[in-house]
Amino acid sequence: MESKEDKFSTRREFVKTAGRLAAIIPLAAIPVVLSKKEKVRGYVWQIDPMKCTACEQCRTNCIMTPSAVKCTNANPMCGYCDFCPGYLRQGAKKYSTAAEDQLCPTGAITRRFVEEPYFEYTIDEKLCDGCSKCVKGCGDFGNGSLYLQIMHNLCQNCNQCAIARKCPSDAVIRVPASRPYIRKDEGAENRAKVARMMKVRPPFHKWDFPPDIELSQSC
Amino acid sequence: MLIWHAVLSAQQQQPQRFPRPEFEGGYVFPERQYPDQRGPIWEYVDVAVLVIALSITSWMVIKKRSRKGILLMSVFSLAYFGFYRQGCICAIGSVQNISLALFSKDYAIPLSVLMFFMVPLLFALLFGRVFCASVCPMGAIQELTGFRQVRVPVWLNSTLSAIPFVYLGLAVLFSATGSDFIICRYDPFVGIFRREAPYTMVIFGSLLLITGIFVNRPYCRYLCPHGVLQRIFSSFSVRHLKISPDECKSCRLCESGCPYDAILRSDAVREDEQVSKPFNGSLPYLLIVPVLAAGLGILMYNLSPVLSGASADVRLAREIKLERDKGIKATSKAATAFLESGKTEDSLYAEEARITGRFRKGAPWVGIFLGLSLGIGLFRFTIRNIRTEYEPDRGRCYSCGKCFKFCPVKAKTQ
Amino acid sequence: MTKYSDKQISAFKGISLAAGIFTLVIAISMLLSLVQLKKIDPTSNPSLQAVKDQFDRDPENRDLAEQVRAMDLMARRAYFSSRWQVETGTYLLLAGAIAFVLFRRLIAGNEKPARSLLPGRPDIIAERRNYRKYLLIAGASVTLLAIVSSFVMRRELPSPGRKPGSPPAARTTAAHPLASDLPDAVNWPFFRGDGSHGVAGGESYPTSWDGASGKNIKWITATPNPGKNSPVIWKEKLFITGAGNNVLEVYCIDKNDGHIIWTGSGLDFQGASAEVPESDAEAGMAVPTAAVNQDYVCAIFGNGNLVCFDHDGKLAWGKNIGVPGGTYGFSSSLLICNNTLLVQFDSQEKIAILGLDLKTGEKKWETARTGRPVNSSPVLATFGGQPQVIINGNPNVSAYDPETGQELWSQPGVSGDVAPSLAVNSTLVYAVTDYYKIIAMKPGKDNSPAWEDNTFTPDVSSPAANDQYLFVATGNGDAACYNSEKGDTLWSHYFNNPIYSSPVIAGGNVYFLDRTGIMHIARADKEFTLVGESPLGENTDATPAFSEGKIFIRSKNNLYCISK
Repeated sequence: MESKEDKFSTRREFVKTAGRLAAIIPLAAIPVVLSKKEKVRGYVWQIDPMKCTACEQCRTNCIMTPSAVKCTNANPMCGYCDFCPGYLRQGAKKYSTAAEDQLCPTGAITRRFVEEPYFEYTIDEKLCDGCSKCVKGCGDFGNGSLYLQIMHNLCQNCNQCAIARKCPSDAVIRVPASRPYIRKDEGAENRAKVARMMKVRPPFHKWDFPPDIELSQSC
Repeated sequence: MLIWHAVLSAQQQQPQRFPRPEFEGGYVFPERQYPDQRGPIWEYVDVAVLVIALSITSWMVIKKRSRKGILLMSVFSLAYFGFYRQGCICAIGSVQNISLALFSKDYAIPLSVLMFFMVPLLFALLFGRVFCASVCPMGAIQELTGFRQVRVPVWLNSTLSAIPFVYLGLAVLFSATGSDFIICRYDPFVGIFRREAPYTMVIFGSLLLITGIFVNRPYCRYLCPHGVLQRIFSSFSVRHLKISPDECKSCRLCESGCPYDAILRSDAVREDEQVSKPFNGSLPYLLIVPVLAAGLGILMYNLSPVLSGASADVRLAREIKLERDKGIKATSKAATAFLESGKTEDSLYAEEARITGRFRKGAPWVGIFLGLSLGIGLFRFTIRNIRTEYEPDRGRCYSCGKCFKFCPVKAKTQ
Repeated sequence: MTKYSDKQISAFKGISLAAGIFTLVIAISMLLSLVQLKKIDPTSNPSLQAVKDQFDRDPENRDLAEQVRAMDLMARRAYFSSRWQVETGTYLLLAGAIAFVLFRRLIAGNEKPARSLLPGRPDIIAERRNYRKYLLIAGASVTLLAIVSSFVMRRELPSPGRKPGSPPAARTTAAHPLASDLPDAVNWPFFRGDGSHGVAGGESYPTSWDGASGKNIKWITATPNPGKNSPVIWKEKLFITGAGNNVLEVYCIDKNDGHIIWTGSGLDFQGASAEVPESDAEAGMAVPTAAVNQDYVCAIFGNGNLVCFDHDGKLAWGKNIGVPGGTYGFSSSLLICNNTLLVQFDSQEKIAILGLDLKTGEKKWETARTGRPVNSSPVLATFGGQPQVIINGNPNVSAYDPETGQELWSQPGVSGDVAPSLAVNSTLVYAVTDYYKIIAMKPGKDNSPAWEDNTFTPDVSSPAANDQYLFVATGNGDAACYNSEKGDTLWSHYFNNPIYSSPVIAGGNVYFLDRTGIMHIARADKEFTLVGESPLGENTDATPAFSEGKIFIRSKNNLYCISK
């Protein structure tokens, strides 16, 4: 009896050790394989303001409430108009801060008189919920200085952005974490530089990773 | 020819309709600073906390044998990894990142995610499923809310336990092809951790938790894909939780303590038994395992066009093709956007072919994996295992420590 | 494990029950406020909108204004307070749940382990036999599934989508649109000349004339009906089209003395449409320029009537390709490549390019295009030995094989109101429209933009390019010259009047015709040198035609021949 039990226990021990080795090997190999990848860097999600069509879905598609998408004003591009088509709703009869003339449903845009005839428009991010109504107004009738961006202190940087999945113009793309914002006020040359850096393929590849990407958090 | 007016269609123009104002009063454009992400140092803090938590749990499980300690650790993990980090950077989801990194040439995995994948498995290899015991926030939340214990019939348990294998296989396949991240999408508890979610998720999570009050650890047992890996690694663990602090008297009292039926009974060689042949005549049955692997591999290969439908690009290509060939109008938002965009169809079809090709290459491996798991899993039970004491099934024991108080044996005072 | 007294246990039970009920209550109230949140979507509040509409109809009414303000404030307050409620609610929910769990745990921890002996498991040997059976069953069923699925699924495997089109056309180097590198000096077959590039052949053209005094004006002919289209010329014959009340006509004019040789009607064929689609009255029905080759001349009118005559005025065929439902009618000019008539079709309902047999008018192929309708005209070019017709579309520039219609490549171009046609030279394609940018791209399947600029963007005029320079004229009156390879702006000059016609490079100069009829001529060089400014005396919109040292300019009602 004893010898048979011994035979079993040694066989079991053998299987156990073999199993341990077999398990350790892939565990050790994975980092070796992955470290061979050059330029280990990371990405974050961002809205390309050139592609955005102000469809109002950013507000509802983000997994966060309120959405991580907020509007901002590129002041160098802004016309500082008395009649701001992003601030005043269509059909507004007078240009003032009256509530009945405002476009923003949460009252997040503040209008401040600078000098004749210029007014400064700023977005209060605490109130903005990314509905893009002002973006559409400014883009259709104004200079297009109001645009949406994903704010990275709110964004969870999901593996698969729920907004990107549903964006009708494929405007939500991955950008290098070193350049997490695509700014409209930076001028065309910088935008071109970022675009070259990103080298994204035809935009229906939502999961494309741009080549020069920076290390960052991912979930 | 003709003059057009200002109301232009898409946002895509760069219309500087109103010239830049020339300020006379010395107005300066406000400096716009955008908020930054969480600094990268914090990810490494998370990894450090992970290592510390795993070490403490291992000590609780193996040396101190304290169920209370394990529960307290669960509370901490739930608070830190669950509510504070909101369940994101998690070991379970990291499987997808690893698979994407291995099979996609453009994605490089961040070091912290890699650590989140490797460290729990390393500890599993050393000390058993201590990650599941009290470090994983999902395990923790289920552990803490498991008040009652309803036993699941063996056949049901075994059948449902097959789900995590399929889930893991599909998750790896879908993330490797970059089609979908199903572990993240169908995570039931992340809605509770974030304290908001689409209400379908909240309902699913709450129902699961309520079920978990009676049928303990339902996600761990019947859904968690990472659990498959933990199972494999833990089966070969160097050290593992022992039910009895000293010698086991085979009194069977601990069996009722384990809600997961993870305790293997002692099974010494009986007087009248003939245990001469290796594997006791079960060796021929080992040959069925490769048959299973090959069969499921072929089945998955044949299913790959169906599976490739997980990719949104493939679905779009098929929808457009259907419209071109058979005239069935493509009505989805993606299709409308594509048609309006003026992109060429050729590259869409080429992309569909490429993705389906990748599925054809990857799906058979998933099938082989499933076949091997099923075969080996069944085969194990045909072998005569000689055990002299009650011990936990190393693969399935979550090292939760519930059995400690059921064992009447007192540790020898030293 | 601390033991709690019975009183403590019952207290715990009470607390946990209270906590449980509290949690449930919070959960339900949160659900309700969530529903409410969905209803008060602040971005689309119908009752608020109704009051706003009311206010719009009566904007002086202060009371209504006050009402709007009050409702708006209420709506916003309700929205934010619902959001706050949901947030706080989750915390309360959490607190309640934690309390519930905590106390239940304490109760559970207090209980003695309920040791019970489970019923004995069946005989181990029998169990092992069962598992062997399971293994066999599993093996058999999987094998069966694999075999069955191989037959069922394989048959249904959709082949990777392939367009139902012919294999790529054989590359013909013979008889392609630009047979030689030099543009044609005699014929001006399309809207902007050979290939519709805006580059004229020939060594020298007149640089100064005056409409009022008649200096260098060889002849003037009154056109019976006006039209925006440019003249096209084949050898000695010049062709234009005109439209008036119930009249659509093609005129063949002698290039040397200006007399009208024959007039052809665009209404006299079976299937001709007499409809006049709603369109810009200023433009009329005769916007697209005709196309001519050695045998035939074809013309299309804004209602889709397409006619083809031989050089003697005999109608070869006529058809209506569809009255467009859009706003402006057809505006794209025609092209002919070998024996195919190319028609760019843009309307609200359909966007396509058609290839018709030149002799019979039968449709050889039709290729659908995607995107939005445009008003540009196509150009013909050859890249890499492949002749192609290229269209400035929205948002892509796409090229098609003139024989088969197969799409050769498509790259992102410009968006918005796309009216200017493309400029091409031997290596690059240039797309532009106003309020957007100029983008230079390498033709081909890969997305390869070469350079971009948005300083001078025309709304109507199409740019012209050769291998050194790209010339652009805007509706402002600016004319600019870019380095065609790199995109640097070499010079620009402001001619005070808007320019709608397209610049033409001819005889070492570049000709800009503004809307008031003044032709500004500059050296086609890297520095701006004004060669001459010649007024016609009449307003002009159409791009002039250049042939054998003569320039042909069309004004609203007249056709001028300028010759030294």
